[in-house]
Amino acid sequence: MNSGEKQTPATLWPALAGTALTIVYVILLLKVESQTEVIGLLVVGALAILATSWSGHLARAGQALTHHESILHLLVIFGALVIIGFFREDHFTLLLLTTVMLYVLATLGLNLQFGYAGVLNFAGASFFGIGGYTAAVLGAHTPVPDLLIILAGGVMAALIGSILLLPVLRTRGHYAAVVTIAFALLFKVFLEVNDILGGPQGLQVPGMEMFGWKFNNNIEIGALELSFYVNYLIVILLVLIAAFALVRRLERSWVGLNLDALRLDETAATCFGLNIVRWKVTAFLLGNFLIGIAGALSGMVIGFVAPTSFTFADSLILVSIVLLGGIGNVWGLVLATAIVVIIPEKLQAIQEYRFLLYAAMVMLMLLFRPEGLLPRPVRHYFPGWRPK
Amino acid sequence: MDIGFLAQYLMNGLMLGMIYALVAVGFTLFFGVLDVIKFSHGDVLTVGAFAGLATFLGLEAAGISHPAIQILIVVIVSIVLIAALGAVIARTIVLPIRSAPPLNTLLITLMLGTVLREAVRLFYPQGANPQPFPALLPTNSLTLGNFNLRLDNVIMLVAGVAVIVGTQLLLNRTKLGLAIRAVAQDEETARTMGVNFTLIVLITFALGSGLAAFAGLMNGLYYNEINFGMGLLLGAIGFSSAIVGGLGNIYGAILGGFLFAGLQTIGAVALPFASAYKDVFAFGVIIAIMAWRPTGLIQEKISERV
Amino acid sequence: MNAARKTKRARAGSPAAARKKKAEAAVMMSAEKLTKRFGGVVALDSLELELRQGEILGLIGPNGSGKTTFFNVVTGIYPANDGHVRFDGADITNASPQSVYHAGIARTFQRSRLSLPLSIFDNIMIGNHARLNQGLWFNLISRAAFKQEFEESFETARELVHIFDAPLADRMFDPVAGLPMIDRRRIEICRALISQPKLLLLDEPSAGMTHEETAQLMDDILEVRGRMEGLSIIIVEHEMGVIERITERCVVLNFGRKIAEGTFKQISNDREVQEAYLGIE
Ligand SMILES: Nc1ncnc2c1ncn2[C@@H]1O[C@H](COP(=O)(O)OP(=O)(O)OP(=O)(O)O)[C@@H](O)[C@H]1O
Ligand SMILES: [Mg+2]
Repeated sequence: MNSGEKQTPATLWPALAGTALTIVYVILLLKVESQTEVIGLLVVGALAILATSWSGHLARAGQALTHHESILHLLVIFGALVIIGFFREDHFTLLLLTTVMLYVLATLGLNLQFGYAGVLNFAGASFFGIGGYTAAVLGAHTPVPDLLIILAGGVMAALIGSILLLPVLRTRGHYAAVVTIAFALLFKVFLEVNDILGGPQGLQVPGMEMFGWKFNNNIEIGALELSFYVNYLIVILLVLIAAFALVRRLERSWVGLNLDALRLDETAATCFGLNIVRWKVTAFLLGNFLIGIAGALSGMVIGFVAPTSFTFADSLILVSIVLLGGIGNVWGLVLATAIVVIIPEKLQAIQEYRFLLYAAMVMLMLLFRPEGLLPRPVRHYFPGWRPK
Repeated sequence: MDIGFLAQYLMNGLMLGMIYALVAVGFTLFFGVLDVIKFSHGDVLTVGAFAGLATFLGLEAAGISHPAIQILIVVIVSIVLIAALGAVIARTIVLPIRSAPPLNTLLITLMLGTVLREAVRLFYPQGANPQPFPALLPTNSLTLGNFNLRLDNVIMLVAGVAVIVGTQLLLNRTKLGLAIRAVAQDEETARTMGVNFTLIVLITFALGSGLAAFAGLMNGLYYNEINFGMGLLLGAIGFSSAIVGGLGNIYGAILGGFLFAGLQTIGAVALPFASAYKDVFAFGVIIAIMAWRPTGLIQEKISERV
Repeated sequence: MNAARKTKRARAGSPAAARKKKAEAAVMMSAEKLTKRFGGVVALDSLELELRQGEILGLIGPNGSGKTTFFNVVTGIYPANDGHVRFDGADITNASPQSVYHAGIARTFQRSRLSLPLSIFDNIMIGNHARLNQGLWFNLISRAAFKQEFEESFETARELVHIFDAPLADRMFDPVAGLPMIDRRRIEICRALISQPKLLLLDEPSAGMTHEETAQLMDDILEVRGRMEGLSIIIVEHEMGVIERITERCVVLNFGRKIAEGTFKQISNDREVQEAYLGIE
């Protein structure tokens, strides 16, 4: 790391080539149908990663991109647009992509909470659900514009989450876990028995509409026809970029440092003036806000919300994603979500077994590589910055 | 409300409380010896209930149909199998990561719970559907007005009390219990006293898991039905009970178990128009208790050394 | 300013000369009848203690005599059962650790408590909390202003580390986890010093280090003190050579009680101290 800082940053070409290959790979993976092809692709992907990391190309490309972070960001956005463009008419694949992006958004929130601040949250799916139900109720019964409804989903999740603030702040360790676990179970039962919120059937969520533009209509530009999901994907992409930037800046500031400090050693942190309550509250509320926004968007895309989508098992999947990716690493979230959402969807053979496989995978991860797929690097406040 | 109804609710509350207490005692035992939470405990219970059911079906197939023999064999096979499962889990998963951060142990056992649950769903024949559980105990009953006192319930309650008292005696009156308590007090001292630490841990996990199997059978006999997901809720309730009581404290766990059942019962009785909300109410109170007493009702004395 | 620096240096060099001056210096901190019990154990027993501005006080005593507990009570980690702590004119008895820090007391821990996955710079910045802008707007939105504060803090932290170990100052973004004990101790002291406290509490700073390393660390501490106007230090230390060399006065504890007080020479000739320390030296 040290010597790396002194060298001139590596050339960008391998990174650019790598990005192009990755885009092609993801498109292929999403495109192929036959199970042998899917398995073949997965094997090729795994081998490619092993080979490039063994030859050092992977590390070099990663280093070059961390030195030119804005280029990395542009490449990722460009890649997302290319993939969306490629599948412009394919409803199924586009829906899969929205799921990936919304999970990334939600796990960004979770990452703030326990990746940075160490505040456990085993009710992620519940806060996601609060966002969804908020969208359902406001969309159906009020003239509130959809953009505000999305925000309202986040605000409601943060508000209802704040009921838990007192126990969350006062408890530690295992005692803290029970608070959100109890909430997750309570929330699901509540939804099931509450007639106003549709009981077990749940509620319809009206599609999004902005400035007179109905999102549930397919787009026709001349001869070009795009799936209506493209509407949603563009909005979700924008929201995701904003959230990503927010979390990134937060991590690379004194706020991120405070959260790390209190996670790692609360006693030492208080001895250096840190206000534990203030920062735990900030992380918990902001995290739930992001999760709620993801939930509201998800409700609108899918068109309905029901208790079965917001169970404790779903919360566990969100937590697993954060762990799998590498606690605290935002790029790890993207990678882990892609793995957790796309692979079972493509591999019909394991569809049925996917909870079993997730769980086994996370167990192996915790036993043999507890730092996750992409371990979080040391904080650099301004990437590429070097002392004078 | 009619006194008979109240008695019915009371009976129901006692049954549930007994089941919860048995699960909670397991949590607290594990925490005592290793300072870890083994969240797969609830799903171990499920496996126990299914093991019991499979044993029953096997006995039927083998033509052994005497009810007393059936129940005896079902209970023994289930408890022994699950005790062994508990020891294996302790050996292969819990012990290797005991010094990892608490979040990791909690998560790994949560995931292990998912593996067990999914394995039952996928690999038990028709495991995704609820399975009828046979009535292995005499179902004679005594009717007093609105109250229906069933013999099998009484037997189960008595057996439950016997098991809890037995566990208590084992811990307080035997050499083995002394060793378990020594390990719970302080691992280092226990080791220097010549206690075989690993062995004691395995025995404790076997004991706690055996209790869970017993609770799983009770649950099956009481509701005459079991399903692959039953352990998740029971585990969460058992965990909440152990936590509310104060981890590491057996009496706290028993208190917590009956408290939770009491809350559910009160929720059902006192919210006549909204008895469906009884679980919401019970979990809500648990959260409130955690806010009020962050380390449980019977408070664990923790004073971190700096 | 310059003159003041010089006298500081002289003080550090010659404790005897300093002691004469100290007699007139203001009282920086005092404990009155300070008592702390853990169940039946009386860890601090009506402790009376006074510290003057700029003084280096040695706090010694056998294992379990209450030295660490004294630090913990002063810094607000444990509440006192009885008695008072005054600091810089204010009563800080049972104040929260945060307010004790903001009042100007910083400490190190007997068992090193760094955040191991974080970088050297991050660890030191944790100690700089009071001087950093903690506003959300500042941190998330006005990144240009943030960058300026970051660069200034980086320079300050780098200079401070440089005093202790020049090569270490070139590795500010290395994680602490990979560093040897001596570097960790240095960083812990830097973390405590970066906020320019008025009082520094050092709890066995040389634990786990060799003789030479300890001597070097003490030189560095004295050098920093020479640069920081009026910094007072209380040091807990088992190595008597260190105590003799750097302290101006010592307080000896046994079972939470003060059994002797005075210069190192005085206390090392004290009967009760020798009995308490049977075997030491
Ligand atoms: N958190 C605590 N809970 C219970 N007892 C404690 C606690 N902290 C300290 N003690 C007790 O208080 C007494 C003083 O301990 P302290 O750590 O202050 O000693 P010390 O002088 O720092 O010893 P050492 O030289 O070993 O560091 C000891 O008997 C110790 O066991
Ligand atoms: Mg000490």
